[in-house]
Amino acid sequence: MFKIFWQSLNYGWRKLCSRRVYLVCCTLVPLLFGFFFMDLMKEGLPLKVPVSIVDLDRSNLSRTVIRNLGSTELIDVAHADESYADALARLRKGETFGFFIIPRGFQKNAISGAGTTITYYSDMTVFVPGSLAYKGFKTAAVTTAGGVVQTTLVSTGVNESVAGTLLQPVVIAEQAIGNPWLNYSIYLCNSFIPGVVALMVMLMACYTICDEIKKGTSIEWLRASGGSIVCAVLGKLIPQAIVFSIIGVGLQAVMYTMVHFPMNCPAWHMILAMILLVIGSQGFALVLVCAIPNLRLSMSLASLTGILAFSIAAYSFPVQSMYGAIGIFSYILPPRYYFLIYADQALNGIPLYYSRWYYIVLMLFPLAGMLGLGRLKKHCLNPVYVP
Amino acid sequence: MNSGNGILGWFKSVARVWAREFRLVFGDMGVLIFFFVLPLGYPVIYTLIYNTEVIRDLPIAIVDHSRSPESRELARMIDATPALEVYQYCPDIPAARKLSNEKKVFGVLEIPADYAKKIGRGEQTQVTYFADMSLLLRYRAALGALTDVQLSLGEKIRGDVMNDLGLIVQSFDGSTISNDAVFTGDPTQGFASFIIPGIIILILQQSMILGITMIAGGVSERRRRNNGYDPMSVDAPAGATIIGKTLCYLVCYIPMALYILHIIPLMFSLPHVGNIWHCFMFILPLLLASSMLGQFIGVFVTERESSMLVVVFTSVVFLFLSGLTWPRYAMSPFWTLVSDAIPATWGVEGFIRMNSNGAVLAEEAHPYMMLWLLTGIYFVVAYVMRRIGFGKRRSETYTGVSKI
Repeated sequence: MFKIFWQSLNYGWRKLCSRRVYLVCCTLVPLLFGFFFMDLMKEGLPLKVPVSIVDLDRSNLSRTVIRNLGSTELIDVAHADESYADALARLRKGETFGFFIIPRGFQKNAISGAGTTITYYSDMTVFVPGSLAYKGFKTAAVTTAGGVVQTTLVSTGVNESVAGTLLQPVVIAEQAIGNPWLNYSIYLCNSFIPGVVALMVMLMACYTICDEIKKGTSIEWLRASGGSIVCAVLGKLIPQAIVFSIIGVGLQAVMYTMVHFPMNCPAWHMILAMILLVIGSQGFALVLVCAIPNLRLSMSLASLTGILAFSIAAYSFPVQSMYGAIGIFSYILPPRYYFLIYADQALNGIPLYYSRWYYIVLMLFPLAGMLGLGRLKKHCLNPVYVP
Repeated sequence: MNSGNGILGWFKSVARVWAREFRLVFGDMGVLIFFFVLPLGYPVIYTLIYNTEVIRDLPIAIVDHSRSPESRELARMIDATPALEVYQYCPDIPAARKLSNEKKVFGVLEIPADYAKKIGRGEQTQVTYFADMSLLLRYRAALGALTDVQLSLGEKIRGDVMNDLGLIVQSFDGSTISNDAVFTGDPTQGFASFIIPGIIILILQQSMILGITMIAGGVSERRRRNNGYDPMSVDAPAGATIIGKTLCYLVCYIPMALYILHIIPLMFSLPHVGNIWHCFMFILPLLLASSMLGQFIGVFVTERESSMLVVVFTSVVFLFLSGLTWPRYAMSPFWTLVSDAIPATWGVEGFIRMNSNGAVLAEEAHPYMMLWLLTGIYFVVAYVMRRIGFGKRRSETYTGVSKI
């Protein structure tokens, strides 16, 4: 029995090393993707959003406002435009992500009490710079208004310190737990890098199993495993699992030790999660292969679910806010559970108890994959290639 | 088969390649799925995922150490915002943390014991909100709601104090400068309205590349089976072959582009303010460039299905390179250069501004010209590859597949 298993493993290893495309997909793709992601967003937040300003007042006060705007780290006052139309045209061309209009008679109306309005436009076709521009604009507008209120209050006889307090009687201070810098790299790398590992695991599992059927070598494959489909599948998938786990844990090591992403749990919590993600994704792929033992269709399904996983596993938009009938699909995907473990363990560092089900579900995927092996064996014994 | 010489012969070759490519596309279920089912289905699935657009009633817990009318008013104001919902009052932080660990709440607001006292004394008081950071969208929703509450509460308290002091000022709370925020492109700041116009461009490019590389893999397989000769190929000059194939893909994609660029935004009421004819003009070089890029990548594909192994994951890379999530101005020069080389980058940039901001083609001249430039570059590269017979040589010598 042991000898047959060894033989099967040997067959799996040799197959895995036989083609360049396998090695590229197992090692190079996840590694390069990890490097790409960590390097692309290494600044954490795309600060200094280019914006323009339309100063129709050209007064002392308006220049102060512009100086205030320019001094925030959020935005970069890159252009000064003559009119609303000019500023809008610039925004449409994509040179800026927002503009700030100071109306005619701004200083006069602000001080005389006639009232005036600052208007700012943020381009939401690109979310992150648009939001940052909005935040910078709003801060500048509110503090300017506050400054005028303070002057008015003091001039009517209110004590200066009381006037200062009255500007902001209640402050709501936000504490961003685990990621106080609102670092985009921490937020996205932790979900997208394992997501790509899972995608490649699924594609490779589907490809290598169904390729045997396509080439008609599946009988040989079964023979090398003593006719046992369980043995054959294990022999094929274990070498891949080892390679992907090493790569996945290596990427984690880079994220948590070299790039210093927050990790508030013992290392083995995340290492276990990565290994289970690899095995769970293989189990998921096995379900697809057993359901449709056709190379092209199972690959298509694996690509479909693997790519949709980035959206439906709620890396950016929460499951709780999706339609119920859509959100439920998030729970059939292994990357979703890895993401939940990451949020609990590495980011928030809460007791392992609260993540127990996520680990257990990841362990159930391979078992689900085993269920349809009888069907797969039938197809392997009688390989028919449908293009 | 001799197609004759001269310009007429060349056009005849183009037509023959075009016709043969149609047969290859429509006779291949796999390619049909990529060319038609994928562009038809994916935009619908994606939009359905994000169609709720914004986060509503994010559950939070309140730890109220003050237990005063003022603190209860704050809680009521927060509960009344569209984004937040007070899920539960907790006696202390550990109780709130337990709720948070169980994922029943995604934020905790702690009101200090001297909250009401300080407001009464005219001092500043600080309330703390602890946010779960697993998703930045949740933080963003809470932040916006809490900032609004803070501002309106401040105005109210300021107005009350001024009334009590008997001050006569110009407005209710002494403020003479109001501010007005306008969001262009996505006025509701919804997630689907933001991401779908970009994603559909990527779908156009990626589905086309997947289909083309699958056809190329098929060619390679047939060559292997027939000792380096593909019985389905048409004997035509390299340039005519590339152009003939491109014409075929273009014809397939014109109805798809109409559906994706026009019908999808209409179906889901996504932002769609641009001139649709300008959008079509703009998308033409994107389709051409994608076709050329696909034919270039196809040279390296030796099997029908391995195209998926190498193409699928690039969708994620291209999405990030397009600048939709991480803006291009913040990329390093190296990644900017890489993203410059992807047709979808320029397609996304130009299309979202035309579709959502109502820009006209002239305003998108830069991305438009870049798309034509990429079309030219990838044509030349594909041409050279075809002339030196790179793919042909590979599939003749590449025997590793059938060995084992």
